[in-house]
Amino acid sequence: MTQENRSGRPQGRPPEGDSRLTRTEVQLRGPFLLFFVSAVIWLLAASVLGVIAALQQGSLAGGLFRGCEILTYGHVAAAQRNLFVYGWGFNAFFALNLWLLSQLGRFELRNGWLATLGGAAWNLALTYGVIQIFAGNQTGFGLLEFPREVGPVLAVAFLLAGFWPIVAFARRPTGHTFASQWFVVGASFAFPLTYLLAQLLVLWQPASGVVQAIAHSWFVSNLLLLWFGASALAAVYYFLPKVLGRTISAYYLAPVGFWTFFLFASWTGPSALIGAPVPLWLQSVGVVAGAMLMVPVIITAINFHGTLSSEGGWSRAWNDTTLRFVSFGAIAFTLFGVLNAIFGFRGNNAVVRFTSFAAGQEQLLTYAFATMVLFGSAYFVLPRLTGSLWPSAKLVHVHFWATALGAVASVVALLVGGYESGKQLADASVSFQQVAKAGSSWNVALSVSAVLLLVGHLAFALNAFGMILKSSAPASAGRHD
Amino acid sequence: MKNLNTLLAGIFLAVALPFGALVISSQVQLGSLGRAPAEEGGPLFPSREPGLAIQGRAVYVSLGCVSCHTQQVRPAGQGSDIARGYGVRPSVARDYAQQGQVLLGDRRIGPDLANFGARAKTLDAVHAAIPHNGQFAFLYVGAKNEVASERAVALAAYLQSLRQDYSSPEAKLKQ
Repeated sequence: MTQENRSGRPQGRPPEGDSRLTRTEVQLRGPFLLFFVSAVIWLLAASVLGVIAALQQGSLAGGLFRGCEILTYGHVAAAQRNLFVYGWGFNAFFALNLWLLSQLGRFELRNGWLATLGGAAWNLALTYGVIQIFAGNQTGFGLLEFPREVGPVLAVAFLLAGFWPIVAFARRPTGHTFASQWFVVGASFAFPLTYLLAQLLVLWQPASGVVQAIAHSWFVSNLLLLWFGASALAAVYYFLPKVLGRTISAYYLAPVGFWTFFLFASWTGPSALIGAPVPLWLQSVGVVAGAMLMVPVIITAINFHGTLSSEGGWSRAWNDTTLRFVSFGAIAFTLFGVLNAIFGFRGNNAVVRFTSFAAGQEQLLTYAFATMVLFGSAYFVLPRLTGSLWPSAKLVHVHFWATALGAVASVVALLVGGYESGKQLADASVSFQQVAKAGSSWNVALSVSAVLLLVGHLAFALNAFGMILKSSAPASAGRHD
Repeated sequence: MKNLNTLLAGIFLAVALPFGALVISSQVQLGSLGRAPAEEGGPLFPSREPGLAIQGRAVYVSLGCVSCHTQQVRPAGQGSDIARGYGVRPSVARDYAQQGQVLLGDRRIGPDLANFGARAKTLDAVHAAIPHNGQFAFLYVGAKNEVASERAVALAAYLQSLRQDYSSPEAKLKQ
């Protein structure tokens, strides 16, 4: 990692930290490792379920697990998605957001036990929820599948585990703020609000009729964009300039990007309901918001790709493990925004509606963007916190290539496969079975990509756990390099 | 950007305004929908859900059927739903007004079920469709899985109750 110490701190660049373990890092080491280790365990569980779900999708009769009630596709798919989102995505961003804002705000986490308690409650509630899904006790609303008693526990656990970045922001000693801080504060505040309102209107006091579906679509778009999207954007804003040692290009646009992102993201929900029995004006609002979301997408593209494009940034990014993952994610985000706008429009949406296309878009956002950024961040943060090096360079390579190829393959299979079957479905003379048969090669690609992702995650887990176990250095000793 | 309160207020508005405008306003617009005749003096639709169908929906939800089946028919201009025979008219919000839980779904790995009750003419046809070539054989008991369990009976009643083949004020059937 390149960590030149430069004096003077221009705008558009996070403050330089000492390469030694800072006091802020000593304080948050415990909660960070708890979040991180549980995140990786959930990621492994989700990827095993991902392989099972991908195998099942290819066969109507459930293939390998024919006649097995616990492992019906409806259970496996729901558990996989929830584990990936709430297990991996949330735990990992709890850790990263906390670290980021502690670093940027020179915040010393004094009540680390509260965060630890929150993390424990979060993971226990999650475990219970997933067991309930397999036991056949789910709600039928995507990403709110956990039985409703899990909701309040997750909400309280979020406040304990995920609210520290806001405290860190409030307690920062300097007036100066950086783009990463806004995005993390936004994510940490927007999610609990969204989650509580959605729980209320979808599960506890269900709204009448299709309003449930409207509230649900609003929740899902907020969860994906305002938690995954905003948190991962914060990380890209931090690591690009940090590792490259330069300022973000056209940083003056970043505040506009931040506000437009938060302004439009929450309106995009109904674009998932185009053609559904909901008012037309609502669908149009979703389409327009999806198109307006291009403003922050273009701004972040200028910020990220502009920074990478100057002075051989791309080749330096390629040669640095952290940046290799992070810039992969930055490209994926731009691609996501463009696809989201194009396929929001009614005509295009009608083609891909109800196919795997939407899952492909979600995979692009939550995996190819957010997860790759999280991996990159782990390569930066973990060595600092554990005081040791990654045990195996080979495993790092396996991790990158397996996850990068797996991400590309799964996104392409879901998007292109979805588009193709959508085209065929538009012609009513082609039967449903024929379409399913024509798409079977994409299902094979999907299964292969699921295995690739599992291999990559295993390599990552081996390396990371090896490093954490190996780190014998007491937390206060710091890192000497 | 330097002031936490301004930042939080902005984010709060960015989340709360869409919630109010999208969710609350549609509750105002659609919340009072109920059973209505297509023309004055006609029969009231949608019909009330039978108790067994409500139990059946719990089975439908618990098995995660919604991950492969949608329950919505798009209008003719969008997709081939009507040409495919999924329904005789587009779904409208009133069709769901009687349902305690609305399972529109967003993925079709299997066919749409919004109008399945009208499509499957007999109860036997419904029971023939439920096992999916053996995947859901556990819903049936007996030597050859020929006897429907309680859950299968309820599920079949639910599937039969899914019909959108009546005229409603928003979507009249063509005579």
